[in-house]
Amino acid sequence: MNTRGQRILLWTAPPAVALFALAYLVFPVFSPPLSPTLTPDQVAAFFRGNNTGILGVAILCNLIACSLVPLFAVTAVQISRAATSSTVLTYAYLICVGVGTTAFILADYCWGMAAFRPDRDPQLTSLLNDMAWFFFIAPVGTIMVQNLCFALSVYLDERPDPIFPRWVAHFNVATVVLLAPSAFSILYKSGPLAWNGPLSFTLRLTTFAVYIAVMFWALLRAVRHQGDDRVVLA
Amino acid sequence: MAEVPKASALPAEHATSWRKNRKLDQWIAFWSVPFFFNLFGLVFVPLSWMMPPRSPSSTTPNIVDFMHSHNLLIACVILTLAYGLAPVSNACYLMQVRRMSVSPAFRYSMMIGAITGAIVGMLFPMFCFGLGAFRPGYSSGVLTMLYDFGYLAFIGSLGCFCVMWMAFGLAIILDENSILPKWLGYYTIWQYVTELMAAPVWIVKSGPFAWNGLMTFWFAMTLYVSWQIIVYVCIYRAIKNQPEAELDNASPELRPKVVELRSGTSA
Amino acid sequence: MTNVAEGFTPGVGNSRPDDSRRDHVPGDSSMWFFVIGDLLIFGVYFVGYMYFRGQNHELFLQSQARLNLDIGAINTVMLLTSSLFVALGTEAARAGNRAAALQRFWIALAFGAAFPLLKMFEWIPEISSGLTPGTNLFFMYYYVMTGMHLCHVALGLVIMGFVIRNLKTSTTPKISFVETGATYWHMVDVLWLVLFALLYLMR
Repeated sequence: MNTRGQRILLWTAPPAVALFALAYLVFPVFSPPLSPTLTPDQVAAFFRGNNTGILGVAILCNLIACSLVPLFAVTAVQISRAATSSTVLTYAYLICVGVGTTAFILADYCWGMAAFRPDRDPQLTSLLNDMAWFFFIAPVGTIMVQNLCFALSVYLDERPDPIFPRWVAHFNVATVVLLAPSAFSILYKSGPLAWNGPLSFTLRLTTFAVYIAVMFWALLRAVRHQGDDRVVLA
Repeated sequence: MAEVPKASALPAEHATSWRKNRKLDQWIAFWSVPFFFNLFGLVFVPLSWMMPPRSPSSTTPNIVDFMHSHNLLIACVILTLAYGLAPVSNACYLMQVRRMSVSPAFRYSMMIGAITGAIVGMLFPMFCFGLGAFRPGYSSGVLTMLYDFGYLAFIGSLGCFCVMWMAFGLAIILDENSILPKWLGYYTIWQYVTELMAAPVWIVKSGPFAWNGLMTFWFAMTLYVSWQIIVYVCIYRAIKNQPEAELDNASPELRPKVVELRSGTSA
Repeated sequence: MTNVAEGFTPGVGNSRPDDSRRDHVPGDSSMWFFVIGDLLIFGVYFVGYMYFRGQNHELFLQSQARLNLDIGAINTVMLLTSSLFVALGTEAARAGNRAAALQRFWIALAFGAAFPLLKMFEWIPEISSGLTPGTNLFFMYYYVMTGMHLCHVALGLVIMGFVIRNLKTSTTPKISFVETGATYWHMVDVLWLVLFALLYLMR
């Protein structure tokens, strides 16, 4: 079985990650992350003052929003190789990825909108900023379920030579636990759970970054060992 | 395919432990559905009273009051944790459509509709309701806009579900493997019709055709909810009755049949 | 994609495709499920319409007067004629006379296709003169009900097209498919008769 397509797609991930890292580092909204306690006037002033930087990153992220999709697509292919009775986990995974990516894009749009017309009514700018943060930090539900689907596929895999080592599944389950706190960010304006706090922000983004790195490694290995194994058409 | 799983994978209809169930992945996915739907119902009704929908012609003080309710935020939290299960519930449909003799295009259409619908019909409107409660001090104009956007997106999101029900209904009707009963296919066409019925919510603000109206909400919901229950009963039966020989992980003695069935797929 | 006609085997409960016994349920039994359910759904709309008409009698009467009764009547004739030819065509198909059946279905299709065309001549002037669904409750009911009906007509025309194709190209046309299509079309016609009476005629 020719796995060249998968390998090519996988290797688009490192450049994607590099670009995301760049976006993160130069995004004025993230360095440091804007506090939820800012008043609408302060938020409006911030967007006015950092206009170029924000717009630049918004455009960049608009472009690279789906650049990790190939990695997820390859994951879906590998999930479908698991000897389960159906491809239900593959499909659930695919849909989750689609939904999660859309949420990210919406967040990007909201920041872009806020920066587009900086002399907007500060209430509206603040609303857009809130919306962007909501869509960026809180929607962990799909990442959680998609990782659970992946983990399940590993646990339920009846093959004598498993596609992934079991610890990758455990790791995925761990990410589910580590990402969950972010959902609570919409309840707080300060503290560790607020959208700029160590749990909702730092832990979430760090977990996600480590997750991508680990999955990249695990997928490369899985694809390399795929050999002649046919995948099940999903 | 790689080596055969050993004797422990003997196809036994009455597995002694549920863990040895051959269709475990499908069952886990299936049983997540009632859990999710009940959670959804609890969150939307008794927790936050978003449903049944409030009137589009509520007075402004009522709207402002509602949008400031803290329970909306709690509802948001629960939903953002749980909404990943919606894709799983959709994947359950897709699994049955995959077994049908129809082209993969049907299930791909459904999949794309599901992706779109989860955001425009669920996550986005939910956040509209949460945003107002997150930061007090927004003007009533802004809150009313969020209120409108929330309800319109929930009740008035039409197209993504239109394509899902059309593809699903057609697939069932055209299916030669009789995976799901034909009358369900026709019932699914009515799901499509409920989307048409809901279209007027974008126009009127009171009366039977508003987003809380008799025709567009209550009647449509009666059709919708009963279909939702019935379809999962049918899917339960379909999973249960699926011959073990047909499973993706069927043991090789039974495997010859698998190839035939799947090659029935047309392009 | 599977040929629709070939794939249209009788559904649950009806196992013989070309049953010539007189007392069998014509066509696909699941189509009857659909027809009855559809009639019920429209029935709820009819009941709702009657109720709100009772509440807003004056408004409904005045609005009703603005409808184009002529086109409504012509459309009724179109559909009735179309249904007639569908019935004749089904009879011919049952008797094995493929040529006659084909001809009659083509005529039925032509009359049926006139319906949406005339509808446009009815709706477009109405909308341009400001009578939109949002105008008042009567017009909302009018547009929603006739709109849903129009979708049914469009679907019926598509189904008829497949019936014609099946009659033309298949060596052994499936009578049950013809009957199923005919059942659907007759339902569309019945619905229109009620709609016409309620919306246009009833004073």
